[in-house]
Amino acid sequence: MITANLNYPTRTVLARRVLLTLLPTLALLARLASAAPLAPLKLPDFESLTGKATQSVNITLDSNLLGLAASFLDSDKPEDAAAKELIAGLQGVYVRSFTFDRDFAYSMTDVDAVRRQLVAPGWQRLVGVRSGKEKANVDIYISVDAGRANGLAIISSEPRQLTIVNIVGSIDLQKLHKLEGKFGIPKLQLEEGK
Amino acid sequence: MSNDLDNDLRAALRPVDPGERFTQSVLARVATESTRSARAPKLHTTTLRWTSVALAISLVMGIVVAHQWQVRRTQRGLEARQQLIQALQLTGEKLDLAYRVVNDEQPTQSAAEPGA
Amino acid sequence: MSEEASCQSEEWLTRALAGDAAAFGMLVRTHQRSVFSLALRMVSDRQKAEDLAQEVFLQLHRNLAAIESGAHLAFWLRKVTLNRSIDRLRREPKLEAMPLDAADGVVSEAEDADPLLARRLSTLVAQLPAAPRAVLLLRYQEDLDPTEIARTLGMSVNTVKSHLKRSLSLLRERFADTARSST
Repeated sequence: MITANLNYPTRTVLARRVLLTLLPTLALLARLASAAPLAPLKLPDFESLTGKATQSVNITLDSNLLGLAASFLDSDKPEDAAAKELIAGLQGVYVRSFTFDRDFAYSMTDVDAVRRQLVAPGWQRLVGVRSGKEKANVDIYISVDAGRANGLAIISSEPRQLTIVNIVGSIDLQKLHKLEGKFGIPKLQLEEGK
Repeated sequence: MSNDLDNDLRAALRPVDPGERFTQSVLARVATESTRSARAPKLHTTTLRWTSVALAISLVMGIVVAHQWQVRRTQRGLEARQQLIQALQLTGEKLDLAYRVVNDEQPTQSAAEPGA
Repeated sequence: MSEEASCQSEEWLTRALAGDAAAFGMLVRTHQRSVFSLALRMVSDRQKAEDLAQEVFLQLHRNLAAIESGAHLAFWLRKVTLNRSIDRLRREPKLEAMPLDAADGVVSEAEDADPLLARRLSTLVAQLPAAPRAVLLLRYQEDLDPTEIARTLGMSVNTVKSHLKRSLSLLRERFADTARSST
């Protein structure tokens, strides 16, 4: 599995290739029927972070709540319809995000409990990027079972924001791509060949 | 038979009195029925009244509960929708961040890990 | 029913409704001849007629509050009596097909009545089908006009007149036949 190797000057090129080739591959994998359902990551309470953060986001959407949310998406609106299509194969969406009013008010040891789960069999780190300029680190993991993706995890650490995303089920990143610009989702610019 | 059939029929079909024995039988049966049903009808009426009241209350409560359930469900549904959108936004943001880092970053030493 | 009788009935009605058994007794006495006679001439059996008539008065006692006036009372009693009688005849068809000499004809109490004629006519009337028989009884026993008969039995006035015409024609014919056969 190709990952971005931080120790070589070509890491940028490699990482770009990963994102440009493997994410669509991931999307292709995801379009296949979902593999055996994956258990969601056990996300800690992050009580210590909640106390320090100026803003906390705690989203737990299991399959029931996803179904309920889907029923409130208006199929007549293109953005809602696209979102509905995206979540069709999902069993859960879990997000913890903390925003602070000073740099690095949190410690990466706070996410160790999550990282330990991502070394378990089935999980692979797809991309790990480190930005000197933005001082941001983003690790993207996928869970693959019998050649099929059935989970996605993102750990993103920025100076004033820590975000952990766990998606259980088959997520089609190309469908996520279709949502760019809608609902405030930034343009992903996952254009092939660039 | 006389030519006046009408009169003959009236004469033949004049009402006949069944007698005082009949009257007393009727009154006796009325009295018996009144005694037997002196309590039962009231009970029946009372029971019926309370059953109707209970039924009406249950119906109203059922409607209220159903309405509250629907209101709660709508609230939860809209909340879930909002959370879903937020989750998709954050996911997209972080994927975009990764892409930006990969696209724009100059090859430099690795970023200092916070809290390391 | 005369106006005076109607007013008196209404007074008894009011008192009977308040639970006055004696007042109800007066109502029974006032109307029992009509009710019993209708029942008797419909079911052609004295015992059954008495039972039926008693049931009518029991039903009246249960429904006193529904009676609006003396005239309404008379109307109600006739209607209920005939309805119950016709129901009874439907359940026991042999009552309707009573043979001539077995009919329990009731001899009129009128002094000027010819008893034999009265018996013969009563028997012939008892042989009529239920609907035309009821029409005839309301006409000649209760002295109602066709409109009142129609209202009581729930028929059209034309149907009432038709029943009357045919029944009278039939009675003449059968009376002539019985007269011939007895000679």
